[in-house]
Amino acid sequence: MVDVHVRPIVTIAKKEFLDNIRNRWIILLTVLLFLLVIVFSYLAGGQSGGDSALGDMQSTVFGLLSISTILIPLIAILLGFSTISGEAESGALHVVLTCPVTRFEVLLGKLLGLGSVIVAAVLIGFGLGGILITATVGSESWLSYLAFIGLTILLGVTVLSLSICISAYCKRRITSIGGGLVILFWGMIIGTVFFAVVLGTGYTLDDLMTGNIPDWFWIEPLFSVPDLTQMTVMKAFGMNDISMMGFSVNLPDYMSTPLLLFAHLLWLFIPILLAYLLFKRRDI
Amino acid sequence: MVTQLVKCPRCQTHVTIQGNSGESVLITCPSCSLKGKFTLPSTKKMVTGTTMIEISHLSKIYKEVIAVNNVSFTVRSGEIFGFLGPNGAGKTTTIKALLGLIHVNTGEITIHGYRMNGESRSARKHIGYLPERVAFYDNLTALQTIHFFCELKGVDRSVAQPLLKEVGLESAMNRKVGTFSKGMVQLLGVAQALIGNPSVYILDEPTSGLDARWAKIIRDKIRMVNERGATVLFSSHNLFEVEQLCDRVAVINKGKLIAEDTVANLSSHLKMKPQLEITIQGLGGKVPLVLSGMQGIDALEAKGDTLFVTCESSVRSKIIAKLEEAGLTILNLKTIEPSLEDTFIKLIGGGA
Repeated sequence: MVDVHVRPIVTIAKKEFLDNIRNRWIILLTVLLFLLVIVFSYLAGGQSGGDSALGDMQSTVFGLLSISTILIPLIAILLGFSTISGEAESGALHVVLTCPVTRFEVLLGKLLGLGSVIVAAVLIGFGLGGILITATVGSESWLSYLAFIGLTILLGVTVLSLSICISAYCKRRITSIGGGLVILFWGMIIGTVFFAVVLGTGYTLDDLMTGNIPDWFWIEPLFSVPDLTQMTVMKAFGMNDISMMGFSVNLPDYMSTPLLLFAHLLWLFIPILLAYLLFKRRDI
Repeated sequence: MVTQLVKCPRCQTHVTIQGNSGESVLITCPSCSLKGKFTLPSTKKMVTGTTMIEISHLSKIYKEVIAVNNVSFTVRSGEIFGFLGPNGAGKTTTIKALLGLIHVNTGEITIHGYRMNGESRSARKHIGYLPERVAFYDNLTALQTIHFFCELKGVDRSVAQPLLKEVGLESAMNRKVGTFSKGMVQLLGVAQALIGNPSVYILDEPTSGLDARWAKIIRDKIRMVNERGATVLFSSHNLFEVEQLCDRVAVINKGKLIAEDTVANLSSHLKMKPQLEITIQGLGGKVPLVLSGMQGIDALEAKGDTLFVTCESSVRSKIIAKLEEAGLTILNLKTIEPSLEDTFIKLIGGGA
């Protein structure tokens, strides 16, 4: 029988939230998220030439998407990269683990507490921005904007699960930083690898520049959480084609929203399961 | 306050001494005016036979290094048990294994009757732990930190403020731990360990690196919890501290347990003898001839007016008598029992 108690999980989650919500980098990035919504909305408003200085939600989100899929993983990595390795190195984890609490409860508490910090940062940063746009421009696409917020939170929590896994694996805080950087730049690495494979299978640069890309290329987002989020958000706004290098390409039918969400969940649960197995075996 | 009746080694007159437990008192014999120092015994709680900590055949191997090799010992209820060893001997590994922080290759550990392998949650409810280098969360205040550990241990949060007051951190309870000095963090660690009045305290070099003031506060807390009935397992590099506090000690070297007993018994088993320090008027650095070749004396050394004699306890009065017969005036007399440090060095073979 699995011996899991709720109280220690809630206690650890609460502690993680309190300890990290005051982290000045998190505060700074939250403010930055809000400012970015305003800036991209203002830019979108200028392009549309409407009465309002701010643009609509869809244009704002599309502008925001590429930068938010870097900033949110950055917050998640900042929160999670040393949560086990750093505390094991400093000695804080030793005292916690001598209390009547299991390693599974500690890990789950950390995921929930640090995840709550991401929820708070996204809700404050993007939520306030959304309210401002709604008040100024109107509430058109508000449901899609909510989906954008939800998917951004999912992105954050998924990258958090990856960074906790790195933290459970690395012996020292400094090596966790390296792991965090790999997570951050993984999207770029995997994208380049896919392009190289396309070129290696007989396609030319001209093919790539004109959008003549094999259908299987579009499985690439399944290997990169930020790309996965971008694609799912676009689907949420009803977009089925993707703009790249000056041309527009229709996404293949198999890249459906349920598949994208399923891939998201796999990215969330597999690393946290792996983190538990590593943490359970670890000598502190 | 402790009262003790002692016999003057020169004239055999009984003298009553009063003082604090463990205190060294300078006394002068009312009959023959012989001066000497006497250490009053420390008053310790009754140690019962119940086993609170049991380690059986514990081994831990890191890659090819045997950190702990088939170590077994028990700590009884109400004891302060010292765990000694040179650097790298396996003390911290044993303590970590005891707490379930590391996985062991072989061995069974039981705390308060609960097996650490399988019943660790129940065992941990009875443990208060203080490591050598305790660390907490910089952004939490002292009060929030203690609240956190109260909740983890399932103890009401209302005990947090009295605990912080007890360790002298009441005025700093709303300060962030990140602003604390090392001594203050260690005291916060003491408060954390005291949560829920555990019956077993496991302390891994708790005073290491602290100045004398903080170290004394922590030693006093160890005595206090022991007087309340708790069992303490205590590792330290400070042998004086261990000698002052511990009922029994275990010595580990190169991963192996090489001794487990009271300090006095260890010294006795190793045939370590006390040393007499006799101040004689006009000695001038010369060993008196009357003592040469005397049976029961292991070593004789004179420095200035002081004569150092390592001998059996039974020959002490004979030595005094011989010196007085030779017309020498004894100004002062002190008996130095073999220290834990001497015993420890002998046990580990002159240092490791």
